[in-house]
Amino acid sequence: MAELKGYMGKVLLIDLTEQNHRLFPWTDKDRKRTIGGKIMAGDILFQHVRPGMKAFDEDNWIVVTTGPLTGSGCPNTSRFNISTISPLTNIVTSSNCGGDFGLSLKRAGYDAVIFTGKAKEPTTVEITADDVKFKSAEDIWGLKITESQEKLPKDTDKLVIGPAGENRVLYSCVFSGERTSGRGGVGAVFGDKMLKAVTVKGVQTAPVAKPEKLKKFNRKWVKTLMTHPLTGRQLPKMGTAGLVSAMQAHGILATRNFSAGRYEDFEMVSGEELTANHLLSNSACTTCVIRCGRAVKVDGKTVKGPELEILGLLGPNILNNDIEQILKWNYELDEWGMDTISAAGTIAFAMELNEKGMWDCGLEFGKTDNISETFEKIAHREGIGDELANGSKRMSDKFGGKEFAIQAKGMELAAYEPRRAVGMGLGYATANRGGCHLNAGYMVVLEGLGLDVDSLTPHGKAAITIMFQNLMEAISACGSCMFTSYAVFPGFLVEKPNWLLTRAILTAFPYVGPAVNILNKFTRLAQINIPLIPHSKALNLVCDFHATLGTLLTVGSHGYNMERMANVILGQKAGADKLPKRLTEVPQDPNDPRTKVPLERLKKDYYRARGWKDGIPTYKTLKRFNVDMSKDYYDRVVREARADG
Amino acid sequence: MAKVTVKLFGVLRVDTGLATSEVSANKLGDIFKFVNEEITEIYEERHRDDPELERPDAISFSDAIVYINGKRCPRKGRKLSDGDEIWLMSPASGG
Ligand code: SF4
Repeated sequence: MAELKGYMGKVLLIDLTEQNHRLFPWTDKDRKRTIGGKIMAGDILFQHVRPGMKAFDEDNWIVVTTGPLTGSGCPNTSRFNISTISPLTNIVTSSNCGGDFGLSLKRAGYDAVIFTGKAKEPTTVEITADDVKFKSAEDIWGLKITESQEKLPKDTDKLVIGPAGENRVLYSCVFSGERTSGRGGVGAVFGDKMLKAVTVKGVQTAPVAKPEKLKKFNRKWVKTLMTHPLTGRQLPKMGTAGLVSAMQAHGILATRNFSAGRYEDFEMVSGEELTANHLLSNSACTTCVIRCGRAVKVDGKTVKGPELEILGLLGPNILNNDIEQILKWNYELDEWGMDTISAAGTIAFAMELNEKGMWDCGLEFGKTDNISETFEKIAHREGIGDELANGSKRMSDKFGGKEFAIQAKGMELAAYEPRRAVGMGLGYATANRGGCHLNAGYMVVLEGLGLDVDSLTPHGKAAITIMFQNLMEAISACGSCMFTSYAVFPGFLVEKPNWLLTRAILTAFPYVGPAVNILNKFTRLAQINIPLIPHSKALNLVCDFHATLGTLLTVGSHGYNMERMANVILGQKAGADKLPKRLTEVPQDPNDPRTKVPLERLKKDYYRARGWKDGIPTYKTLKRFNVDMSKDYYDRVVREARADG
Repeated sequence: MAKVTVKLFGVLRVDTGLATSEVSANKLGDIFKFVNEEITEIYEERHRDDPELERPDAISFSDAIVYINGKRCPRKGRKLSDGDEIWLMSPASGG
């Protein structure tokens, strides 16, 4: 049990082969080292994985974790995390979800649940405070997401996969309500383990250390979020879809499989169009005060509306200007249980392969009448769907076109075209789980969206990327939505973009790199709590452990280094932090050589600041950030990683 | 005076109801007067249908991210030419 408050103090380990369960040891020391969520899951996997282990091995673990703020009453803290070895990338993937499963898991008395083994037949696992039951899921195997959910007990919260997960589509996902644990193919690992669904229910609450102070503090936190121009105005009013026009203006709206950053018809697929003509209401994860979700109508049903990613990747990126099609495809992808980003990115790649005569698949830019049937084929791995279900990297291994397969470490990039936001390019390349914008540190918010820092200069980008990667890692570990971190920028910087003071600060921003790097290296120096990052103060009030901004940075660094090392153990080679040549060698504007990602230069700064060599943490760095590994083992896996990396 | 097109995006458009406006102006700073007049007109019309509707704040140069013909422009004194397309945007994040 935990002495620390905020935790339920128990981690459940469920063996699907043996159909039994036990408690997994996890101590307060572990809790302090990892906080929870993504970093806790990463730590558990780091200790578990061995060289050569693969996603579909029986002993690959699925680790579902919550954070100490989950269920604490703090705003935007219903998030939970699922980590496992990804079938798409063969390294660790972590996928954050806003559904209610995490809240309910804590109510059942658990901070986390680990699944190992493989069931012999389709299975639903039912978790309650006193028991774990294994039930046949034959009756729901083959059903889409909503239908599956409807057939499970109403008084439970659920994790469910769709046909895509059952058929091991490498980018299939897991649903909790309408929210998705989307990236990296977690759904395929569920499917491989014949784990169709998990239900959970309970009535317990996690103890809070200072409940009265927390209530007062939360009131202030909610006020900060609700009055900040990004979290209180833009996100609630426009959702993430509001970014389409800002990305167009800045030239970072992925268009025609990332061959351009602007799309003539962008207004037809923009957040403004969505808001004016399709939005029914906002929707939100439980406990959220921002409410960035959108509800829209598709075929007469009220369903989840599209995020920026899908508007961009199934709009400009495949030269489609029909927003109604996108609403429908978004719904279809959800129902099949597929990651919208990877599905859309893979389709765009296939279109270009076809155009170049490299794979005759019938998919064409601007042609929309065969997209729905293609999604169905992917979900069932039929015909061309069997190739598309493997993602763009494997397809480029087979058909060629590596230079325009828009992925990093096997994971398709989000809709931000990074050649005019080079820090974002560095983030995509270095993100542990692959081409992910959030795990990347989300530099694009500085590089022209929220703020206007010079987006083409490499100066200072490595330092700021590292700081954001670590910070977002830690915020996620708390159980908080990462969008709460956008309130970190003082309001005037965002609201008054043309003030002299704003411009002076933003001009100077790339030059604060050396100072930021001191903090990146000596994370414990930041022994303060700052109102703009309230998460550390919240940890004090909920858990009663002394947490500061420095704690978040230290734990975030621990998480980032450890996850990287887990990837190296799993076979990630030195030099794996790459982007396709289209983004690093071909300027977006032929007349401006700066409009490409100067990745080698950026990586040099990044590795130096992180204490990494060729993308691998040095042993000294691991020690600095409390990553426990014997020197012999370290030397062995690093030698392997350098062998022909 | 140059005849220019002003387009509003993001929260600025949603709050004010104004998407596009044709304006005659010499300098960037001059367009705001005209844009705000139109916003007031639109508001008064919308307000008749929806008495609860709050009056949107007037937009000033310092509030908006400004692009002229696809290039960011932070100078209020920038001279305008016939056919210029000016975008006024609100900051955005999330994804
Ligand atoms: S901001 Fe959006 S993603 Fe985050 S908790 Fe709220 S609804 Fe969920």
